[in-house]
Amino acid sequence: MAILEVDDLRKEYGGFTAVEGSSFEIERGEVFGVVGPNGAGKTTTLKMLAGLIEPTAGTAVVAGHTPGEPAMQRRLGFLPEESPLYEEMTAVDYLEFFADLYDVPTDAARERIHDSLDRLDLEHRDRRIGNMSKGMQRKVAIARALVNDPDVLIFDEPASGLDPLTTNYIIEFTRELSDEGKTVVFSAHNLFHVESICDRIVIMNDGRIVARGTLEEIRDAHGGTEYHVYATADGSEGVEDGHSPLEVTRENGQVRHVVGDMAAVDAIRETVEADGGRVTDIQTKTPSLEEIFLEVAREPTAEAEA
Amino acid sequence: MSGGRLRRIVASARRLARQCRDVVARTSRIARWEVSRSAGTVDRKTVLALVVMALAIGTAGVSVSDSGLGLEREMYVAGVDEESRYYDVAVESEQFRAVPLDDIEADGGGDSTAETATIRGDANVDVVVTRDGRVGHVGDNGAAAYDAFRSAVEDYNAELMDDEADQAAAYPVLVSLEYQERDPDGSTDSGADDGNDAGSGDGTGGSTDGDGSATGGGGSSGTGDGDGRMQVPNVGDGGTSTSAGTPGSIAPPFPFESLVLAFLFVVPMNFVIQAYGSTIMDERVKRRGELLLVSPASRYEIVGGKTLPYLLGLVGIVAAITYAIEGGPIAVAATLPIALVFLAATFAGAMLARSFKELTFVTVTISVVLTTYTFIPAIFTDVNPIALISPLTLVVMDLQDESVRLGEYLFSTAPFYLSAVVLFLLGIGVYREEDMFAQKPIPTKVIDAIASRIHSRWSVPLLSVLFIPFVFAGQLLAVALLFAVPETVAVPVIIIIAAAIEEVAKSIHVYAGFARSRFDATLKTGVVLGVLSGAGFFVGEKITHIVQFVGLPELTVGAAAFGPAPSVSSEPVLYLAVLLAPLVLHVLTAVCSAIGASSGRNGYAIGFLVATLVHAGYNLGVLALVA
Repeated sequence: MAILEVDDLRKEYGGFTAVEGSSFEIERGEVFGVVGPNGAGKTTTLKMLAGLIEPTAGTAVVAGHTPGEPAMQRRLGFLPEESPLYEEMTAVDYLEFFADLYDVPTDAARERIHDSLDRLDLEHRDRRIGNMSKGMQRKVAIARALVNDPDVLIFDEPASGLDPLTTNYIIEFTRELSDEGKTVVFSAHNLFHVESICDRIVIMNDGRIVARGTLEEIRDAHGGTEYHVYATADGSEGVEDGHSPLEVTRENGQVRHVVGDMAAVDAIRETVEADGGRVTDIQTKTPSLEEIFLEVAREPTAEAEA
Repeated sequence: MSGGRLRRIVASARRLARQCRDVVARTSRIARWEVSRSAGTVDRKTVLALVVMALAIGTAGVSVSDSGLGLEREMYVAGVDEESRYYDVAVESEQFRAVPLDDIEADGGGDSTAETATIRGDANVDVVVTRDGRVGHVGDNGAAAYDAFRSAVEDYNAELMDDEADQAAAYPVLVSLEYQERDPDGSTDSGADDGNDAGSGDGTGGSTDGDGSATGGGGSSGTGDGDGRMQVPNVGDGGTSTSAGTPGSIAPPFPFESLVLAFLFVVPMNFVIQAYGSTIMDERVKRRGELLLVSPASRYEIVGGKTLPYLLGLVGIVAAITYAIEGGPIAVAATLPIALVFLAATFAGAMLARSFKELTFVTVTISVVLTTYTFIPAIFTDVNPIALISPLTLVVMDLQDESVRLGEYLFSTAPFYLSAVVLFLLGIGVYREEDMFAQKPIPTKVIDAIASRIHSRWSVPLLSVLFIPFVFAGQLLAVALLFAVPETVAVPVIIIIAAAIEEVAKSIHVYAGFARSRFDATLKTGVVLGVLSGAGFFVGEKITHIVQFVGLPELTVGAAAFGPAPSVSSEPVLYLAVLLAPLVLHVLTAVCSAIGASSGRNGYAIGFLVATLVHAGYNLGVLALVA
């Protein structure tokens, strides 16, 4: 059952369209990635889901409520790209303040706060936030997003500007949250992180969704897996229709045949061997999310459905 | 009523009560945490500075309250012997320092020790009481000193008579003084009896200034002829002269001490808004307000919670000052709307400013404008009803132990309360992610703030009504600033200013609606919105007729600003025409501006200009007709 539904969401600023026609659904417990280049409309989309920005058109339903409704805000944890914390407060005071604002009973709030800080391995909890390192501040911000025990978490660039150790810690922590049944909407520029933890992904460009689905589905839609067949002879001649290589090149006395599936590999092998040659090597080439991202970012912004 | 309906009503009432309770709870939580958080931002040096400031204000207030300002203490020197019956007058008067006649040193010659002192030139005294009981004055300050000595003698005598057991003997004649408004031609009515007395004749109109008494030898001495209660000696060889008394010689119309004390109420506001403005700005500049916006608290609760500590702090300070200077509850009640406007204007300004530098400009502007607006009219507390445009006047009245009527309180404070509400609403309109953290030009944000309150066509007349307090305040301020200017200049200027202020109030939200695509930019829509705005404003403008209760239209500049007070005509058609003419005017001019606004910024500017000129022409015509 979808816990988050977005239908034809659009946001305009004057004559500029920041987001146009975004539609997707997110299942409970999913980690859903939103990626795209700067200015693609990711943050605007996430803020519309968080109830911070009012859509110009379209609808969003989060946990059964329209964004902005107090009932929805109680079930949401939002971590913005920056960590706008009250630096003059201690971490514990800061978290207790937000727990108070979310009507969390005092005892439950204290237990939850210390549990979150334990899991995030945050020391010096009574230190003023302004005197903490950026990584520590980010952990406080994540703990704040969890203070109301939300069903849906929106993480916008959660590891932005952090060292690799803290980054990995946060990525692992996000995975743990998903394992606990929380739904996470995750945006990051580091596509390796998105690739490693997201169940499904949308890629945005110029305010539109240009690709969507699981990583495999997106790969299939954008070239998918390629097989490079190296042989001593050219096997492209006489191969059956539908198995013709996508590309044939000569490298170091060998012929490289690029094909899209294993059936084509077998067809090439048969043709080469029929000509008296032999296949010397077969390599599997899988495009990374980054390669797909770069490809779709250069394309015109017509949505490429998976 | 059926049982089911009753249950639904009860359930709705309970739900509403629960929602109200939740709102209050969240607002108070934010307020509590705001105090806790802000406490962490104040270092010891700041605390010390605040304590020193509070002590200084407190000391000044208590000092002024107890013993006046002391600016005139021992300002003059009176030459008088201990044996003289005037000696006690000189000693008890704060303004005088008594020196024996033997110690008088005359530069210009003369015999200061003679039985009849004759002094020419300068001396170390301003007033001399000779051994035979005559009083005279010497030197440049002599005339003023002599008047002061007269007053001191009267005060001394009054005090003696107050202490007299037989009051009938002490006051055989009852005298009432009533100040009359000065006519435009400058003539005055000084004093009027209440019908109980046997005649005025207290001699206060016959003071002596001695200006014309200086005679040769460079002497600047003068004498007065007295009023039957003072024997005025012929000091030196000057003659005597008399002149008509002024109200100032009877009692000061300028409530200086009360004004200074009232000013103490405004001083802390100027400091508190600095802290308040910084808090609001902090939320914006560092995007810290974003996380509050994503919480279950509404922006009204957030703003309420952040404002409440500062408002309560100001009320506490005002209450403490009131207690220290022995003011009454009316002083606190009159200061509350001033505090609200200070905070509301600061909040709206902090929402518009793009940096702390701009915020400084905003808060200084607010300080200057609001302090001027509240303080200057209060100077005329005892002179002119226009003083009531400032709630500070009520404070002055309270400190002078004058009673304040409910109508006066409402007249003075209602525009402040309404202005505060409108400013808070406009500020809250842009207290959202899209505006708070965006670096937009201030005019753009103003338009955004106004547009945020436009939800349908019916928002237009509502906003026209809500802007009435600003029109009222703006026009009253113009009247206050211009009523001392010659009418030949003041009246034309105020006619144009008043028209422009009203046209802004009728059109700015219509323009905002078009500029932010709240309405279709068509001619028809412009006409409809213009009609709605003009009609709404007409209704709101009727509120300004409250000025009749304090007689402002009797001032020519007041009439120029608000129009002449409507009079009931015996001719129904004429009466209807008089009543409906302003409606036609407001609709017509609002339509001009609205049609212009529908075609963009330049169109709006042209439409506004035409509307202002038409409006000013109408006002001029009405004035000419009435005159």
